[in-house]
Amino acid sequence: MPELLAPIAGNVWKVLVAVGDKVELDDELIILEALKMETPIYCDDGGTVSEVRVKEGDSVNEGDVLVVID
Amino acid sequence: MSRKQTPLRPYFEKMPEIGKELRDGEIRRSQANVDLVKEQEEILAKEVQRVKNSGIPAEKIHQRGGMTIYDRLDYLVDAGTWCPLHTLYNPQDNEEGCTGVVNGIGKIEGRWAVIIGFDNKVMAGAWIAGQAENILMVTDMAKRLNVPLVWLTNCSGVKLMEQETVYAGRRSSGAPFYRHADLNHLGIPILNGIYGTNPAGGGYQGISPTILLAHKDANIAVGGAGIVGGMNPKGYIDEEAAQALIDGTRNFKGKVPGRVETHFDQTAYFREVHDTEQGVLDGIKDYMRMMPAYDPTMFRVAEPAEPKLPVEDLNMLLPANQKRPYDAVQILARLTDNSEFMEYRPDYGREVFTGIAKIDGFPVAFIGNQQGVFPGYPEYAGGEYPGVGGKHYREGLIKQGEFVTLCGRDNLPIVWLQDTTGIDVGDLAEEAELLALGQSLVYSIEQTELSMMCIVLRKGTAAAHYIMCGPQANNNNAFTLGTPLTEIYVMHGETAAAASYARRLVKESEAGNDLAPTLEKMNQMIQDYQDKSRPAYCAKTGFVDEIVSLPELRKYIKAFTGANYQNPKSITPVHQMLLPRIIKG
Repeated sequence: MPELLAPIAGNVWKVLVAVGDKVELDDELIILEALKMETPIYCDDGGTVSEVRVKEGDSVNEGDVLVVID
Repeated sequence: MSRKQTPLRPYFEKMPEIGKELRDGEIRRSQANVDLVKEQEEILAKEVQRVKNSGIPAEKIHQRGGMTIYDRLDYLVDAGTWCPLHTLYNPQDNEEGCTGVVNGIGKIEGRWAVIIGFDNKVMAGAWIAGQAENILMVTDMAKRLNVPLVWLTNCSGVKLMEQETVYAGRRSSGAPFYRHADLNHLGIPILNGIYGTNPAGGGYQGISPTILLAHKDANIAVGGAGIVGGMNPKGYIDEEAAQALIDGTRNFKGKVPGRVETHFDQTAYFREVHDTEQGVLDGIKDYMRMMPAYDPTMFRVAEPAEPKLPVEDLNMLLPANQKRPYDAVQILARLTDNSEFMEYRPDYGREVFTGIAKIDGFPVAFIGNQQGVFPGYPEYAGGEYPGVGGKHYREGLIKQGEFVTLCGRDNLPIVWLQDTTGIDVGDLAEEAELLALGQSLVYSIEQTELSMMCIVLRKGTAAAHYIMCGPQANNNNAFTLGTPLTEIYVMHGETAAAASYARRLVKESEAGNDLAPTLEKMNQMIQDYQDKSRPAYCAKTGFVDEIVSLPELRKYIKAFTGANYQNPKSITPVHQMLLPRIIKG
């Protein structure tokens, strides 16, 4: 099960997917906000979203799991 | 059997390839970005059209059997080479909506020239506000690039109703005559095609270049024939004076002075006179063929080649959302020959890239901001905060200064790709000497004799806009381009509003007052920053010399490069260059 990790610490600004969504390679799933920048999290493989472990406004650390895709 | 090759072939023939093709998903999700870029392009295109339609309609000129400045340029300049500059420039917001001159860089008969002409639709080419500064930018460019300046003169002189906006002052409409003298003194020829009536200022505009070619109906003179009344001793105009003026004007039979009969037949100032407007332009073409220009083979290090990766991708790669990072190397890969780049010190000062590429087969240096986050960098921060793309830190500043200095030694023209939010601030940054290192980079640029070109891809902010060879580098910056996504300001509007009103907010809050009036002022300020940093505003005020669509950038880089290598004042033999060897190690 591929897991999408936070590349940097920051806040979750937008969650663009929900459990059950079909996603493709390079789709934008989450947008983190840190250091006055938006860091988009892209899907690195196609599949179905099985878990979204964050919600908008959450703080995350580098390496935290954001989304799980089956 | 004789054999030939380009110099230092092992270094330049095949350089490291950079960038990668966009995947389907990347293309798909970038369509919204493309739409935002196009939206800005449409705004700019409307502005350009408005400027082109300034003054009387082109049809009127055509009905008189004449050509507009745009017709003249179209006839004169080699197809596909015209790179317009200062199209939207109108810093004093004059009612004509332009500065009354049209200019750019282009090839004539295969040779690069800086070309400028009066817009004869706009008050017959009158001196109007902002024009002198526009001309000075153009003469400076010819000087910097060491290429001929070509004038298409058609100048009716001062717009008398607004003489105070053009006539007097250090950088007024008389200054270009000194610039012409300067160019002549430096051995940079100025070719002048003269049309129409050119009295007073127009006369000096006519006489000051190197080679004068005239249309049969053209004239140049110290003063025009229109001043028939002379001084009115009463100091005002009454009915009697008006009647004298009417009679004088009605009975005036004189011809305009400085006609071809004088300045071709008698003084012989004009080298040629032509019966047709095209004939004058053909004369300029003849002289352009005489201009000093090396064959490109002299300086090419490889055969010219287009980028392997398509320039059209740029509209997908450069995010319109200013908060979004991107891979700057992907941008560079769409600008350089064969998408190749030989990077200088890639592991040091990672917030900027520096290195050598080929443009049209010529070696050219590139410097630009990287984007993204750099954990564990800069070292002096000791992990207190990570480095972010677009900012400058100690290593990056040292690397840029070092690289620029070596480019000066190797005579490599530099293209700067700016997208910068500033230089790092705070005590740690001061201890890391960033203030001095920023100025040190300015010194490095200034002490070279190099031409440089600056492209503000997105942000040009704070002192970083200056130190990365922004237009303030008067002696080196040949021209500066913006893109449909350019924003130039001292700092972001929100930052400025916070800096300006934070203390007031505290006071109001402590006094228990309503914060709404202060908030309104802050938001007005943010909006004002937004309005006064847009691409069209940057072009109008002269923050940049032109706004260019992203896929068109390479055309301008080629023009800059070709002009630089046409007739360089200083040469570093390619086989004696240091930078390629330093990079190889």
